[in-house]
Amino acid sequence: MTDSLLFDAVREEIAYAFENTAFFRKHMEANGLRPEDIRSLADFRRIPPTSKGHYRRGFPAGVLAKGYTLTSPNVMRFQSSGTSGERLNSAIMSYDLARRQATGFGVHRGFDGLWQPGSRPRLCRFAPPNCSDVECATGFSTMEDRILADGTLVLTVAHDLLATPEWQIVKALDEIEQYQPDLLVVDPTHFAFLTRWARRLGRKITSPRKLHMVCGYTLMTRVARRQIEEFMGPEVPIGDMIGMSELGYLGFQCHLGQRHINDREFYPEFVRDDRPVENGEMGELYVTTIDDGLIPRIRYATGDWFTPTGEACPCGSDLPVVRIEGRGTHMVRLRDGRVVTPGAVDAVVGDAPWLDLYKLEQGEDGDCTFRYLPNDTARPGDEAALEARLAETLAPNRVRLESVGYVSCERSGKFQSCVSHLSAEGAR
Amino acid sequence: MTARNAVRDDFPVLRREFDGQSISYLDNAATTLKPRPVIRAITEYYETNGANIHRGKHRLSEEASDAYEGARVVIARHLGAAANEVVLLRNTTEALNLVAGGLDLPPDARVVGCLDAHHSQLLPWRRVGQLELTRLDEHGRLDRDHFRTLLRGRPHVVALTHCSNVTGVVHPVAELVAEIRAACDAVIVLDAAQSLPHQRIDVQELDVDFMAFSMHKMLGPTGVGVLFGRSERLARLRPASVGGGMVDWVDLDGSVDRRIPYRFEAGTPAIASIIGSAAAIRYLEAQDTPERHRHAQELGAALIGGAVARPGVRLIGPPDSTDRIALVSLRLDDSIPTGEVARLLSDSYGYMVRSGHMCAQPLVSGMAGGEVLRVAAYLYNDVSEIEGFYQALDELVSWIAPTAAMEGKLA
Ligand SMILES: Cc1ncc(COP(=O)(O)O)c(C=O)c1O
Ligand SMILES: [Zn+2]
Repeated sequence: MTDSLLFDAVREEIAYAFENTAFFRKHMEANGLRPEDIRSLADFRRIPPTSKGHYRRGFPAGVLAKGYTLTSPNVMRFQSSGTSGERLNSAIMSYDLARRQATGFGVHRGFDGLWQPGSRPRLCRFAPPNCSDVECATGFSTMEDRILADGTLVLTVAHDLLATPEWQIVKALDEIEQYQPDLLVVDPTHFAFLTRWARRLGRKITSPRKLHMVCGYTLMTRVARRQIEEFMGPEVPIGDMIGMSELGYLGFQCHLGQRHINDREFYPEFVRDDRPVENGEMGELYVTTIDDGLIPRIRYATGDWFTPTGEACPCGSDLPVVRIEGRGTHMVRLRDGRVVTPGAVDAVVGDAPWLDLYKLEQGEDGDCTFRYLPNDTARPGDEAALEARLAETLAPNRVRLESVGYVSCERSGKFQSCVSHLSAEGAR
Repeated sequence: MTARNAVRDDFPVLRREFDGQSISYLDNAATTLKPRPVIRAITEYYETNGANIHRGKHRLSEEASDAYEGARVVIARHLGAAANEVVLLRNTTEALNLVAGGLDLPPDARVVGCLDAHHSQLLPWRRVGQLELTRLDEHGRLDRDHFRTLLRGRPHVVALTHCSNVTGVVHPVAELVAEIRAACDAVIVLDAAQSLPHQRIDVQELDVDFMAFSMHKMLGPTGVGVLFGRSERLARLRPASVGGGMVDWVDLDGSVDRRIPYRFEAGTPAIASIIGSAAAIRYLEAQDTPERHRHAQELGAALIGGAVARPGVRLIGPPDSTDRIALVSLRLDDSIPTGEVARLLSDSYGYMVRSGHMCAQPLVSGMAGGEVLRVAAYLYNDVSEIEGFYQALDELVSWIAPTAAMEGKLA
């Protein structure tokens, strides 16, 4: 889409949201704006960003467009737990979700055969409990109980990944085997854990159909990716999804490994200090939905940070290429004012074949602890080398490395590889 | 909202906002918020003392012991009990378990309970005896004939619930106790967790043997449950835990238990919370005025009135406000997911209410046929909040189940 066509679509979305949702009308009026005032990008940027909090508080009465209810056809509703920023109640049209997903998969040649005319892929999900819509997806349910209306099988996942009991792992492996999926949608850290167990138990994760893998929910570390690729083999295409529960696919990784942002169903902006960033600088992703009849969102601040590279990708897709930096609430803030993003931490760690899992945690005092699970290939110099690289990256703040046998998950069941109590505190 | 309740300002939590919206706390049957004097008493202990009790002769320890025992006296006085009849535990559940386990009942002992009991007044008895439950009428009031029939079976124990946490019904305990005393010599154990926060109980007048309640449901800190027991009953009760703090003497062959109530308080107790409990009792006593009781009546009437006026909502409990607290449990149309409604009431409107089976699953399944929404008001709530709650519920239902809402309006 050309820029001007896309911007026309944005203006239509603004007019639609203004006419049809009480929240957005108030939001505009509170800032002395009407849809007619938005004639240029500069005008557009005068609209203050909208936030998760706005949509949480406004749901449904203030944000659902006129004419819809929560039980209208094709409306899927969902909630996710959490206390501060992550808590969510929302709804989405199933076809918007499908449309955004198709645009995402469109950048990865390995996914070309996934949608065959007349049949929908069989999908298995292995991700933390509270992403799973199914009442906690804990162990005491049958496979049938956990098949959603759209045919997705939700596998059971323990709330505390590293404390998952063996029977639950075996159950997940058995069910994948039985269900014969085309598509595994997984949290990469959780799935890497599953592959380690599968190896130990002498099990395979295969399907008589061609298997595809989508990773999402948390930042995919290179450590997790390395384990997944090694275990699944080169025949299984793996794509990292850029997504949010309330919006679906915001982007996807192409077969060459670059992340592309969906600028067909969204108008993306990368913003820092209220200004669009230059290519090569990081900014928070704001999205404006295009043609979202149910819950149009204008300049919706996602809380996720990216660096647009401005480069064309040899894969052939013209969707903009970005580097993932991570969530704003996970950024490591250094005493000299610099910020180290989870993406940057991951680049420093690399695929580290000698460790299985890591978590960097910045405490309220600013110092960091890097906990990791070494595996039996770890050699004496490995830790020291990593320590030196992390110390350099995180200076002047201190970092301490700890080899451990266990690292806990968040209460939501998500395992984040990089968190900061400083940033999380600031966001509250 | 107009004419805000004056005590609101004593509860710092009520100043919180979620996404720019003020909150309304209506989950008071689960636990209540804490007023500033209670919070202050707790912090003061940590800031100025912090020592253990009954363990040393040093000055800090004596001071802490004084404050701790002082709290026991305040609680005892509130009940009309002697201080040695007040056992300080963790919660109502622990108190009821202590009695059920400590009576050393024969395995075939008959226990009469009530169908509207909380799980904490059901499961401990089911574990130690043959529990029979008194039926309720359609509104949740006790079937008195059935109760009398069960008493004729000469139970060892009658486990009464003063007020149901589901229906809000306050049972006529004084009459029930008189009937029990006339019919048999059962031990009478009263669960007062939901009643004492709303009304005074004098254990001298009300002739029960044991009574349990939780301070956290009456403005006090979490972690403090109280067991009142008549001294002669306590003297014969077997302690559930043994160890430090509950013995006078230990040698290689045995030990001598301390006197009551200390023999039931093994290990270091929740000192700060117990000190805070005294502040809660004082605060409640200061609020024990005719105005407050009128206010509670108004809250109850608004809750019941709102439910009765809505055809799409079924009230689980009596449709009138005699002998009940300001609490309603509502069963919504089957097509409406109760838990989701509770979430949206909270996140979109600021109303914190409870959903589920309320730890009284036999009753809720029987009377409601599924999960309920429970709205429980307390002294810092206003009638305008109840009205706001019902408006929010109407609006939500119209978004989630437009047809149910329409039928409601047409009916
Ligand atoms: C009637 C009743 N009894 C007992 C309890 C249990 O109290 P606690 O959780 O403090 O042990 C409750 C609390 O919900 C209750 O409502
Ligand atoms: Zn590409």
